[in-house]
Amino acid sequence: MALEETLSQTRILVVDDNAALRGVLRVSLQAFGCAKVIETGSVSQALDLLKSQAIDLVITDWKMKPRDGIDLVSCIRSPVSSPVPGLPVIMLTAYDGTDKIRQARRAGVNAFLIKPVTAAALASCLRDVLTGDQGFVETDSYVGPERREADRSDLIRPAAQLTASH
Amino acid sequence: MAKTNPDVEMIAAPNMLQIKIGGPIGAADLHLIEKADNALNEMRSDFALWLEDEVEKLEKSASIVRKEGLKGQEGEDLFIRAHDLRGLGSTYEFPIITRLASSMAKMIDMPEKREVAPAGLVLAHVNAIRAALVQNIRDTTDPVAAELAGQLEEMAEAFAAPWKDQPQPAAANG
Repeated sequence: MALEETLSQTRILVVDDNAALRGVLRVSLQAFGCAKVIETGSVSQALDLLKSQAIDLVITDWKMKPRDGIDLVSCIRSPVSSPVPGLPVIMLTAYDGTDKIRQARRAGVNAFLIKPVTAAALASCLRDVLTGDQGFVETDSYVGPERREADRSDLIRPAAQLTASH
Repeated sequence: MAKTNPDVEMIAAPNMLQIKIGGPIGAADLHLIEKADNALNEMRSDFALWLEDEVEKLEKSASIVRKEGLKGQEGEDLFIRAHDLRGLGSTYEFPIITRLASSMAKMIDMPEKREVAPAGLVLAHVNAIRAALVQNIRDTTDPVAAELAGQLEEMAEAFAAPWKDQPQPAAANG
């Protein structure tokens, strides 16, 4: 299935405390033809939205206050309290260090989108997450992507490389 | 998959570059990127204004640090602003600001660094970021900007060198 067709059936929640950056993501996702784009600036509100709305994928910033993106992913991956523990999550961050990647992968992030945000990087990341075959595990305390591959550098989407590839 | 010779297995060699960058965007999807870029073009005139908002937040935090110093919450707040600009500068088409903010963030991303970081050098980054925005210098093709950024980065690198291989604490993540 082409990415466009998949996205036309995908409802995405964007979580970022920067309203302008949420706008950039919203405009890009709408141009991609996403079925629905919902946005919020806080983790607490995101968790409420996940309980009340049908969401197929989350794109979240990491550094937010008082609760950050890792907190959000940990809540989503909890089979006890989460309504959607298997939900795909893309982490948006200005960091690309391996220790950060490991930490986020341990929390259950499916993929990374390294800032700056570009349409090409976003499309590639969505394609990988929505059509990829990443392993999935289910335990008493965790549901989500396979975490043993926490060091995979190919999960990072550096925008500059992607732009240069076209 | 075997072809005519049963002793020879024909395989498709993996394209490592493609794997590294996350595989190709299918030709059928390239128009999506074009559509998104066109949609973003309409927002482009606002990018400098949005960046102005972020630089104002940075300057507000910097003015508190000038009075209170880098230790404690003041330094953490300044780091958060620098970190935000690291991600937003290039998104809003000012890669020089991403470069300067990244250099600045490197100096203050851990409480241990903020304890001893030279505030003058940290705040010089703030002034350089403001100058880039005011003069609409977006990248390092401007020789003065390139020289200034290079000098600041060199000093920031030298300061942060002792912490280079230490993982950042949770408070500095994101």
